Amino acid sequence: MIKLLFKRLMQGALVVFVLETITFFLVRMLPGNPFLGERKLPQHVMEQLNALYGLDQSALVQYFNYWKNILTAGDFGPSLVREGMQVSSIIAEAFPVSLWLGILGMGIAIVVGIPAGMLAARCKNRWPDTVLMLAAMLGICIPAFVVAPVFGKTLGMHVPGLSVAGWDNPLCAVLPALTLGLINAAYLARLTRGGMLEVLSQDFMRTARAKGAGAVRQLVIHALRSGLLPAVSYLGPAFAALITGSFVVETCFQVPGMGLHFVNATTDRDYFLIQGLVLCYGVLIVGANLIVDLALVALNPRLRTQGAA
Amino acid sequence: MSTRKAIIAILLGSLLAACGERKSSAERFAEDGILVIGNNSEPQSQDPHKATSVADGKIICTLLEGLVRPSATVDGEVLPGVAESWEHNEKADVWTFHLNPAACWSDGTPLTAQDFVYAYQRLLHPQFAGKYAEMLYPLAHAEAYNKGECDWQQVGVKALDKHTLQLTLSGPTPHLPRLMLHFTWFPVPAHKVEAMGGMLDRRSLWTRPEHWTGNGAYIIDTHRFNDYLSVKPNPLYLRKDEVKNKGIRFLPIVNGYTETRMYQGGKLHITNNVPPEMLAFARNTNSRDFCQDPYYCAIFYRLNTTRGPLRDLRVRRALHLAIDRDSLVNKVVRGAGKPADVFTPPGAGYAAQPPSSPATQAEREALARQLLAEAGYPQGKGFPILELMTTSRDVQRVMAETIQAMWEKVLGIHIDIRSCEWTAYKAAQQNMEYDISSSSWSGDYLDPATFVELWRSGGGNNCTGWGSPECDAALAAARGTGNAEERRAHLQHAEELMLQAQPIIPLYHSERTYLRSTRHVSGWQSRLLDNFPLDAVEVKP
Repeated sequence: MIKLLFKRLMQGALVVFVLETITFFLVRMLPGNPFLGERKLPQHVMEQLNALYGLDQSALVQYFNYWKNILTAGDFGPSLVREGMQVSSIIAEAFPVSLWLGILGMGIAIVVGIPAGMLAARCKNRWPDTVLMLAAMLGICIPAFVVAPVFGKTLGMHVPGLSVAGWDNPLCAVLPALTLGLINAAYLARLTRGGMLEVLSQDFMRTARAKGAGAVRQLVIHALRSGLLPAVSYLGPAFAALITGSFVVETCFQVPGMGLHFVNATTDRDYFLIQGLVLCYGVLIVGANLIVDLALVALNPRLRTQGAA
Repeated sequence: MSTRKAIIAILLGSLLAACGERKSSAERFAEDGILVIGNNSEPQSQDPHKATSVADGKIICTLLEGLVRPSATVDGEVLPGVAESWEHNEKADVWTFHLNPAACWSDGTPLTAQDFVYAYQRLLHPQFAGKYAEMLYPLAHAEAYNKGECDWQQVGVKALDKHTLQLTLSGPTPHLPRLMLHFTWFPVPAHKVEAMGGMLDRRSLWTRPEHWTGNGAYIIDTHRFNDYLSVKPNPLYLRKDEVKNKGIRFLPIVNGYTETRMYQGGKLHITNNVPPEMLAFARNTNSRDFCQDPYYCAIFYRLNTTRGPLRDLRVRRALHLAIDRDSLVNKVVRGAGKPADVFTPPGAGYAAQPPSSPATQAEREALARQLLAEAGYPQGKGFPILELMTTSRDVQRVMAETIQAMWEKVLGIHIDIRSCEWTAYKAAQQNMEYDISSSSWSGDYLDPATFVELWRSGGGNNCTGWGSPECDAALAAARGTGNAEERRAHLQHAEELMLQAQPIIPLYHSERTYLRSTRHVSGWQSRLLDNFPLDAVEVKP
């Protein structure tokens, strides 16, 4: 187990390093630069700004300086567009918002998606299955930029306490979390149903039924553990994606989270901010996958023996 | 099943708990006298020497005050700000400002002429790299100093004593007070900037709420990135009794649909922009609150006059004549603009004359076909495929498609559309890597020079490759006269020369469409530059 953990950690570090390296050079290959504005800057001002932030040096020198600053001083660099702000403080301000929203969204997704998938599997090819899977299909097909404004316009305007958009009271999180949650619930429901169906047709389930286990006991105690495997594999990356924010949901609900930064930093060519965000996202997704791996080992005894061997 | 019930119970419970709260946040803020306003995007900086956007400008104008300030009753009228009075010599190139001795910073430090000298030196300093330093180029030798070619002592800024500031300009500038309404002419607290890293420190934190020192009607209260920036009254402001509200909350809402929804859901008192697709809806549902104001902004297409057939004036003219501007404005921007044949929007007593062209659209189209044939492309035969570059904004794309269809129908030529994200688009435009580029220009100050000066040969924002000695001469003549009438005539002449040579296709002058709560807000007036002083806005419960 320790060996597996160590191996995964090493792999994760390598993945993050490669990801960051590729990002570093790719963003510098994009046309334009962080200082482009509505009005063209005089040549001498542009040169001065580049020199100030070390962008006049070769990409390789910049690259080494970037890692040097992170590893020696923990300095992720300044924002090149919102001068005076540090990348670390921008992320520190936005991440808790996205994290909170992500946890709520994931909570809704799990609470709605997994029971729905189980129910559908249990009632295979009967009306509850059809209705639930139709709803799940709708959830997958209707994009967030349609769901979010519809929720804002209907629930946000007419249910007292709920908010159309904005972030000025705790209930503002309800609709964005619902949007994120229901879309993920749809995926989860389908994955759970698939996983459960496979398990329900296996021999040990027949044994459970023969022993006289009730319907709930069959599903929850005997089938769920194995039936959840596909859903759990999905949950890791999905959770990492959720807590790093969604551009569409944040734009539609005016949420000050990380998703907005991802898109804006790229279009603004805010090099250090993009790199900081990618690093953050990389670490989170590697971490989430690691947790999923451990969870899978816990759920599936066969993996445990493989890991020990 | 029991988990699901529990969650449903929690959700319903929180909904019910919230039902007690019946007032919208706009109502609650209005009760506290606080104005909530949509401000387009997250500000880049509150430092007037680093900021460049309109969103920055709106906030900075509440936090700092220049020598003069805008009137809340008459658009374009300039009132005394930090300066009590001013006078200039006959040529209007030496101006003396007498500062109000009572003026002070929000930390109680007296505000002196030296703070202005310090601010102007900071913005122009060759090592500071001020992006908007060009705004101060009217000062004598400012450009040379900014490029590192002379000493600060030679620049025309002098504090004659603690309360007297003398500005020497490179030429007659009768419109100087109007220029000075722009935030680049505002002072900065020299003592604070020095204490927080010094004049040249671009990473200085002196503008953070905890360190902020200003001389405007407000000081920064809270700033939450991408959430809101709120300001509260400055107790040491010169005219604190004239401030009509108790604070302002600026929300950086980029998306016009979200903003309009938030307005209708009671989150805002004034929005920044209603997108064209929602105009009809907003006009119907919020007819009393819907506003459509003229704006000092021109929408046009730049033509790269160094490329292929666009080198030929007849081709450029044909492209211009083939566009039906009325239907463009009615159908694409849904009436949020005025069709235009000239570049500079009307305002500040100025109106340019377009080159003569036939009266009806059918006649214009016939002439366009004839010109294209004369240029060697009868019915568009043999015309190479040009590329029309636009940003990825919906309106611009739809406009490009509409014009593409008009050219195809009238002239028989095909144009490809290239839609780029903003920075790539701007880079291509500034490096002249385009054939036709969708463009807009909004004025920095209420004077036609902010538009016409664009067309100087080799000017940084010209980006068309066009230039003419006659136009340059007319612009130089405008800069060389202190007589307002003569100056206007020179600028008009310069614009007419440019329009005849057609390096651009003027399309329309845009109008601002937004929502403003008539119930909560009074004292608001439309402004060509969208710079109404927000301290004059009254907020009612």
